[in-house]
Amino acid sequence: MNEMFKYILKKLIGATISIAGVVCLVFLLIHLVPGDPVEIMLGESARAADKAALAAKLGLDKPLLQQFVDFVYGVFTLNFGESYITGEPITRMILDRLPATVWLALASLLIAVLIAFPLGAIAALKKNTLADSAAMGFSLLGVSIPNFWMGQILILIFALLLGWFPVSGYQGHGAIVLPAITLGTALAAILSRMIRSTLLEVLGEDYIRTARAKGCSQTRVIVMHAMRNAILPVITLIGLQLGTLLAGAVITEKVFSWPGIGLMVVESIQKRDYPVVQISVLLISSTYVLVNMLTDILYAVIDPRIRLREG
Amino acid sequence: MPSFVLRNKVVERSRSCFVILFLTLTLTACRSNIDKDLIRYGLDSMPVKLDPREATDATSYRINRLLYSALVDFDNSSKFIPGLASWQLINPTHYRFVLNQKRQPFHTGEKLTASDVKATYDWILDKENGSPHRQTLSIISEIKVVDLETVDFILNNPDPLFPAYLVIGIMPQKLISSAYDFNANPVGSGTFRYRSRPDPNTLKLERVRDKQVFEFIRIPSPEVRVMKLMRGEIDILQNGLMPELKRFLAKKGRASVSYLEGSDFAYLGFNLEDKVVGQLKVRQAIGFAIDREAILQNLYGGQEKLATTFFPAEHWLGNPAIKPTQYDPKRAKKLLKELGYSPDKPLELSYKTSTNPFRIRVATVIQDQLRQVGINMAIQSFDWGTFYGDIKAGRFQMYSLKWVGIKTPDIFEYVFHSKSIPPSGANRGRYTNQQVDQLIDSAKTFDDLDDRLEVFRNIQQLVFDDMAYVPLWYEGHFAATTNDLIGYRLTADGNYDSLNYVERKVNRMVKRKVERTNN
Repeated sequence: MNEMFKYILKKLIGATISIAGVVCLVFLLIHLVPGDPVEIMLGESARAADKAALAAKLGLDKPLLQQFVDFVYGVFTLNFGESYITGEPITRMILDRLPATVWLALASLLIAVLIAFPLGAIAALKKNTLADSAAMGFSLLGVSIPNFWMGQILILIFALLLGWFPVSGYQGHGAIVLPAITLGTALAAILSRMIRSTLLEVLGEDYIRTARAKGCSQTRVIVMHAMRNAILPVITLIGLQLGTLLAGAVITEKVFSWPGIGLMVVESIQKRDYPVVQISVLLISSTYVLVNMLTDILYAVIDPRIRLREG
Repeated sequence: MPSFVLRNKVVERSRSCFVILFLTLTLTACRSNIDKDLIRYGLDSMPVKLDPREATDATSYRINRLLYSALVDFDNSSKFIPGLASWQLINPTHYRFVLNQKRQPFHTGEKLTASDVKATYDWILDKENGSPHRQTLSIISEIKVVDLETVDFILNNPDPLFPAYLVIGIMPQKLISSAYDFNANPVGSGTFRYRSRPDPNTLKLERVRDKQVFEFIRIPSPEVRVMKLMRGEIDILQNGLMPELKRFLAKKGRASVSYLEGSDFAYLGFNLEDKVVGQLKVRQAIGFAIDREAILQNLYGGQEKLATTFFPAEHWLGNPAIKPTQYDPKRAKKLLKELGYSPDKPLELSYKTSTNPFRIRVATVIQDQLRQVGINMAIQSFDWGTFYGDIKAGRFQMYSLKWVGIKTPDIFEYVFHSKSIPPSGANRGRYTNQQVDQLIDSAKTFDDLDDRLEVFRNIQQLVFDDMAYVPLWYEGHFAATTNDLIGYRLTADGNYDSLNYVERKVNRMVKRKVERTNN
């Protein structure tokens, strides 16, 4: 237990350093690119005095280092401030969008897992057969089709032609289905390829032969012996994908008018809405790092050799 | 293969087919229902601020017009007319506004008075509040409440256009003084009242007269907006569509489509401090080389009109004497030859634009047309913030933009006066012409608007002759509504005012039946 605690502590320290690095970099970059929020808000016609007054009100007249210190202080005191453009509290903006983002991320991941595991297993077990080619062909298609196109085709078929689901939006029954399938199939494609290759590696191992020799059924051999060993790299991949999904799926959010975090961040960057970008990036990088840290911990739980090796 | 195995396979396949068929039928049976009590409007962007004192974007302006009433409005020729109040000129620097007796109260039920007018404008003029409208209204020296219905505006200097600046919605003084958050929960005296924001992409308003609820839904993708309209998930959409989508909607007959000539002025801008495009002949050659009619016909659908100056001829400030530049590639080549350019030594130019796919499409057509006369134009597209920053800083040779919603002649000073080079104004091309400066300054000395009109027309002629801009076209408006909706009309500035009259055909029929029965 003590060993596990040390392992987690080590990961936590690493994660904090990563988040701090990302936040510093984003703060610097967003201030370096051309474009001034004051001019975006007041327009070109504003008097220099008015611009200066607004810059002072927003704290933009201070040296960059001071602005950074203020931002960090705000983060530690949980005072995230307000959007320059809309004047809305950033906490409210994020809380309004977070449920939609989490809901979409989990639903897409579920669809990805539901598709990828059987597909990858079939491809591995029926290696070099028509089933393998079909499964991997589907996977290739999933990776190749861009989300904006996939989303629109799904809308055409399932919303316009069949009328099963709404075209887009967050409200109403079934609204999650099409965006989740759009994201989920793309993820499933990558996952199923990974499952196939790791399963193929594992299936040639001695312990699988031993399990078969003991008389275990094919299902038991696959699920209990092969899959359990093959799942480790897959978990890492799922963790990475969940992190990406929680950071927002800009294209899918745009196609399905999904009120998620991704599109909000992109639009805030375009409008040079510094506080929203900074806090959102902090949230996104924290989520990403946290999910990956949890994946590492899960990895260590599943395979004790990992923490022993690291220790 | 034993026959029972084959039979089992057949049974299994039939079962699978049955399951698929069952699922299909079940799901088809429970098609998602569309609530027809609501009228839904598809927007490409949500209003940024529902507080008219701070709002600057077009969607906010259009929605705020529904929520709030302003002292002054504009007619079809963009001339200012009384809105919430009528006015009289006491002396050149003293305007008296008298509130309309039939005005609507605020949505809270309280009466709108002169104190509310004063409080609204005082807030904007307060430097601490950082309102983007402060500059326009800085001509106001003092606002005095005479009585409940009357308010006086004292100006720093005479300006016959002053009433045209009073288009900000009036808000309750009580709420202003308590620092009420109008953006979160707007309270005005407009024909619509705020209901809710169920999610960041949805805004619900209620029409005051009949409690009809309208939902404004943000749908960023134009293709998806069209599909939602076809499916009946939205009832109205306006603008923001590629021409092929407009044609698709019109051809399909699934929606009622309408067009209206607009006044949004699209132009090619030049950096006149640049050695190459600073030459009049180069700009003239570019003007002659662009086949604008072909672009309008093929990219826009042919509804737009060629532009000459900021204002179309039918605008009260328009100059009908100026005729659009004709497409004349031979003349363009001749001008370039005079400057020493030839097919062996083509003119090299760069053109900046945003990342908007349609703007890039227009740019590539212009690029091709210029190549035909011997001009090699490189297109550079940037995200909006960078592009706009470059234009203001003068880091460009050529660019294209459009002026939206221009109604008053103060634009001439803002765009063409040599004092207005950014950051002091929007003279992005660094245009300097002493005669134009003098005319702009002299216009201010005329108290009478008609006298000023002649000066404004002369300014337009001079700027046109100098080719400070190559005028392209006036972008119009397009709307599509579901076939069961009636009453939606486009307006020259694209506002949503006709939502006051929109209703479903079925509802109108029912209402008429009820009226007949009652009679």
